[in-house]
Amino acid sequence: MSIMEYNGGSVVAMVGKNCVAIASDKRLGVQLMTVSTEFPKIFPATDKSFIGLPGLATDIQTLSERFRFKINMYKLGEEREIEPRTLAHMVSSTLYERRFGPYFVEPIIAGLDKHNQPFICGMDLIGCINFAKDFVVGGTSGESLFGICESLWEPDLEPEDLFEVISQSMLNAVDRDCLSGWGAIVHVITPEKVITRTLKARMD
Amino acid sequence: MDSFVNNFKKSTSTWEDQSLLDNFVNFDPVKEFSLPTFDIPSCLNPIEFLKAHTDENSTTECRIKLEHGTTTLSFKFQGGIIVAADSRASSGSYIASQTVKKIIEINPYLLGTMAGGAADCSFWERELGRRCRLYELRNKERISVAAASKLLANMVYAYKGMGLSMGTMVTGWDKTGPNLFYVDSDGTRLKGDLFSVGSGSTFAYGVLDSGFDYELSAPEAIELGRRSIYQATFRDAASGGSINVYHVKQDGWEFIGNYDVGDLHWEYQDQPKPSLIGDVPMFNIQS
Amino acid sequence: MDCLIGIVGKDFVLTAADTSAARSITVMKSTEDKSRDLNKHIVMLYSGEPGDTVHFAEYIQRNIRFYEIKNGIELTPKAAATFTRKELATSLRSRKPYSVNLLIAGYDITTLSSHLYWIDYLGSSVSVPFAAHGYGAYYTLSLLDRYHRSDISLDEAKILIKKCIDELKTRFIINLANFKIKVADKDGIREIEI
Repeated sequence: MSIMEYNGGSVVAMVGKNCVAIASDKRLGVQLMTVSTEFPKIFPATDKSFIGLPGLATDIQTLSERFRFKINMYKLGEEREIEPRTLAHMVSSTLYERRFGPYFVEPIIAGLDKHNQPFICGMDLIGCINFAKDFVVGGTSGESLFGICESLWEPDLEPEDLFEVISQSMLNAVDRDCLSGWGAIVHVITPEKVITRTLKARMD
Repeated sequence: MDSFVNNFKKSTSTWEDQSLLDNFVNFDPVKEFSLPTFDIPSCLNPIEFLKAHTDENSTTECRIKLEHGTTTLSFKFQGGIIVAADSRASSGSYIASQTVKKIIEINPYLLGTMAGGAADCSFWERELGRRCRLYELRNKERISVAAASKLLANMVYAYKGMGLSMGTMVTGWDKTGPNLFYVDSDGTRLKGDLFSVGSGSTFAYGVLDSGFDYELSAPEAIELGRRSIYQATFRDAASGGSINVYHVKQDGWEFIGNYDVGDLHWEYQDQPKPSLIGDVPMFNIQS
Repeated sequence: MDCLIGIVGKDFVLTAADTSAARSITVMKSTEDKSRDLNKHIVMLYSGEPGDTVHFAEYIQRNIRFYEIKNGIELTPKAAATFTRKELATSLRSRKPYSVNLLIAGYDITTLSSHLYWIDYLGSSVSVPFAAHGYGAYYTLSLLDRYHRSDISLDEAKILIKKCIDELKTRFIINLANFKIKVADKDGIREIEI
């Protein structure tokens, strides 16, 4: 089994009309054994952006701490919040620093920029950014997520519709994956507020 | 004269034997009792060749995909035998199906369970069913569970080391009462009272051992079997889907039900946990 | 082959660790304590590569003690777990990583709550209501799922941990003869018999 699949877990992000959504499952496993069903994989970066980190659990935690540090330092130095696009390049550089001994994560970033324009992007484990206009996926159910997002997603979804689409995509994708699931969490970011909901999922 | 000689060409047996065998003119024991024949790789060492293509840890690109990840269990109690299994088939970490029938109805009196390679289990247990039927016709009585499981063990033992993968429990009720045997592709055959097989078996054993009592009533035993599989599906990523439960009784097996784990989890969630102190019934039985 | 178990109760954490130290096919000692007290209210259980385990545990123990002397405060279980996780994660990408699995169990005197952290040799850390390390986890987690409640009393937790140990004794191929049971609560850490 590959390192990327050792702990399991999946993240997906989607663009809507003046909003973005990011969702992840909640499982932490050691190969086939589920250890915890309350393991966070999405971390707030600013009031209007989140970083999702599917991959190896230890690197998820190490990186979430490093990013928190860097984001705080940026805020102190620049006296403003970091823009999602800047954040993406910061994450990318952080990953490329370890080009020859990588962190085993595929970060996904979702947020609204200063003009409240939606921004999402995905990355491979050494920092190659994939800017997307529709959706990005990552983790052990990445392939299933791609399939269902291709069929469910459409442009200009309102926040509530976007929530429905991302939730159904997540739930149905992880139901075809042994290593993801056991509950899911969804954040929908709108200019006014962030809507966070946990989803009831199959627990097998 | 020619006809006389021809008689001896066909067989080495005497005239008397020949007339005796006339009643079985279409019966060829060699054919009927032989193992099914398969093409074996025509190379120097077929076992090594097959290992490279079937072993889970082998790196060969064209590896034959096998289905792994299962929880099955069965145990004897005063009312017969409970057999329960999950229904997930996985190929790597991908869930190929959530509706696999892992409890195979060999005949109205025999059940077999499926763990390991799905194709191996279903083929050999079907073959076992055929042999049990032949035995029944020939001997005018049903085959014992001991004999049936031995047939299965002998059949798979002939292919030992060639990549067969199955861990199965053969259960049924015969002249000697309820019987339970574990048979696997190594050729192991064990008689026992309680077995669990598959990747989730250790989790099932935990709950099963703590709740097991030979004097359990039938509803209690059914609930214990169902609960044990459920706990295994929760912790084992490769087990899930729904739970099938069977009850083996004197007059054959009875299908108890199919329970979707997706719903069962929330049903169990609402039930209070069993108390650990005092002599409290361990399982919540629904009537 | 070692086995560690931890259960969080209403106002305590109960832990169990087997006491056999084996090398090759021989049991070298059957009374080994596989835990270190990090401070008055936190106990850390360890398993893994022989040599690494005690060395790492004592390194963590001394550093946490040093921090507490330097700053004059007692570390919370969460702080201890975060520090330990970081040390393991750093070690993972060094020339010779520690291969140690841990359970950090403790009573937080600031919030009056008990906590248990499951940490593996890679440095993955998660707060759980109960946990197990080693092959023992495969037999005991389902039992803990079945019987554990968040408001479990100490007496019940003792029975539960005994159930787990009995299951290991019947099903696990390796004979784990004895277990050392410890409780961490508001009064500190103490060893108990079950």
